[in-house]
Amino acid sequence: MTPIVLAVTECLCLAIAAPAVVGYVRWLKARLQGRRGADFLQPYRDLRKTFAKGMIIADTTSWIFHLTPCVVVASTVAAAALVPVISASQPGDQLGDLFALMALLILGTIFLALGGLDPGTAFGGMGSSREMTVAALTEPTLAIAILSLALTAGSTSLGTITNTLLTTPANAIGPGHALALAAFLIAMLAETGRLPVDNPATHLELTMIHEAMILEYSGPYLALLEWAAALKLTLLLTLASNLFVPWGIATSLSAGALALGLAAVLAKLALLATLLAVLETRVAKLRLFRVPELLAVSFTLALLAATSSFFTR
Amino acid sequence: MDALFSRLTMTGASAMLLLALVVMWRRHVPAYVTAFRTQSVVLAFVGAIVAWMGEVPELFLVAAIILGLKGWIVPRILAGMEARRPDDRGLRPLVNTEMSLLISGGLAVAAYELSRPLTEVVSLPTRSGLPIALALILVSLFIVVSRRQVIAQIVGFLMLENGVALLALLGAYGVPLVVELGVFLDVLLGVLVMQALVPGMEKTSAG
Repeated sequence: MTPIVLAVTECLCLAIAAPAVVGYVRWLKARLQGRRGADFLQPYRDLRKTFAKGMIIADTTSWIFHLTPCVVVASTVAAAALVPVISASQPGDQLGDLFALMALLILGTIFLALGGLDPGTAFGGMGSSREMTVAALTEPTLAIAILSLALTAGSTSLGTITNTLLTTPANAIGPGHALALAAFLIAMLAETGRLPVDNPATHLELTMIHEAMILEYSGPYLALLEWAAALKLTLLLTLASNLFVPWGIATSLSAGALALGLAAVLAKLALLATLLAVLETRVAKLRLFRVPELLAVSFTLALLAATSSFFTR
Repeated sequence: MDALFSRLTMTGASAMLLLALVVMWRRHVPAYVTAFRTQSVVLAFVGAIVAWMGEVPELFLVAAIILGLKGWIVPRILAGMEARRPDDRGLRPLVNTEMSLLISGGLAVAAYELSRPLTEVVSLPTRSGLPIALALILVSLFIVVSRRQVIAQIVGFLMLENGVALLALLGAYGVPLVVELGVFLDVLLGVLVMQALVPGMEKTSAG
């Protein structure tokens, strides 16, 4: 019984904490840029406000437009259930492994692109086409980066990868691990629409990718999509911290270990979110035509990581 | 001890390979020269590691010469060439950046596959770095054939030389000192000769 409760709690924790992570990044960015910034609870207020509003839907839309927010949220929540958050040995592991996780993420991306195309506006189509250009390289990069860890661990189950790294920390020294981490972080920035690939803070038409796709959404649908985007960011940050630096995660189900695991994951999330805010303050957005080059770099890094871990096994 | 040795040399070798990939990604010639300089410093570091942990004291001398020659003198000559050259930032490589990177990744995989029999024969603790050295050689060769700026081609050639030196260090703890010194002289002479030939090469390759 306890493991099930734990799995549900972990998933809920991620879902509830997600807007706070986004709010924290926004607040820190504002501080770094010399503005006061809204506190980290602001995204919750935004969500409540957007949920309460009515919807205006274009006449040209089909059922895909209405299905998209549900599929995006459902796939992201399902992906969140697979990620080890507080404890490395959780029942979510039996539901699916690395490949299931990637499939769920790409399902959300594809539906988001379809939702952008459906109303037939120029912006939505442009955003979708850009998103597909980016996703074609980021999704395999994420998968191969995690796969290189899976090759070292000898299993594609996320919990087992974490556990193996905890028992044999020597695996973390060496090129494979560092390359995979670098590739994962670059792909994560692209996947979640952060700088230098996409700017989450602007609606300037020349630069936007994610915002362009959800331009036609309003009211509760918009709230769902924004919440799913926040959850995706939190999910990938958690995945990065727990797969690559798993120390502190609970390996047993005792109360003490779980409390320590919770504290550890919160600390790691705060650290990664801080790094993200600092990075977004320091770098400028890449020209759109240079984005595939950056993604090709991260893909090559992931490929090298996978081959090197394959041959030093 | 052996495990640490293996990890350290492998990390050094991977860093060298990554620095070769920098040439694919950056467009500025000064960035290429910096990448080559850093790569040579890392090569000297790997040499020193092999000298210390593999107990081959003469390699310390080799590492010092690498540091001085390839880490300082050659990059200075390259920087001088770059300063005298007309601006050619418009010159695009023959293969675009994304494709170059993907091809490099493919070359690395091929190098791993090709050097598998080699790593099974060699019993030194440094053997896991051999595929990376081979990958570095292949990627450098690709730089030479795919870049259009002459300096980028020279940097590719010098990186190829670094790759060969790395292969010798990891596969056999270095070649005899006399051979090594001969190679250094060759490199220096080669760069000096190329320095004289660059203006002519620029004219033919840019046309």
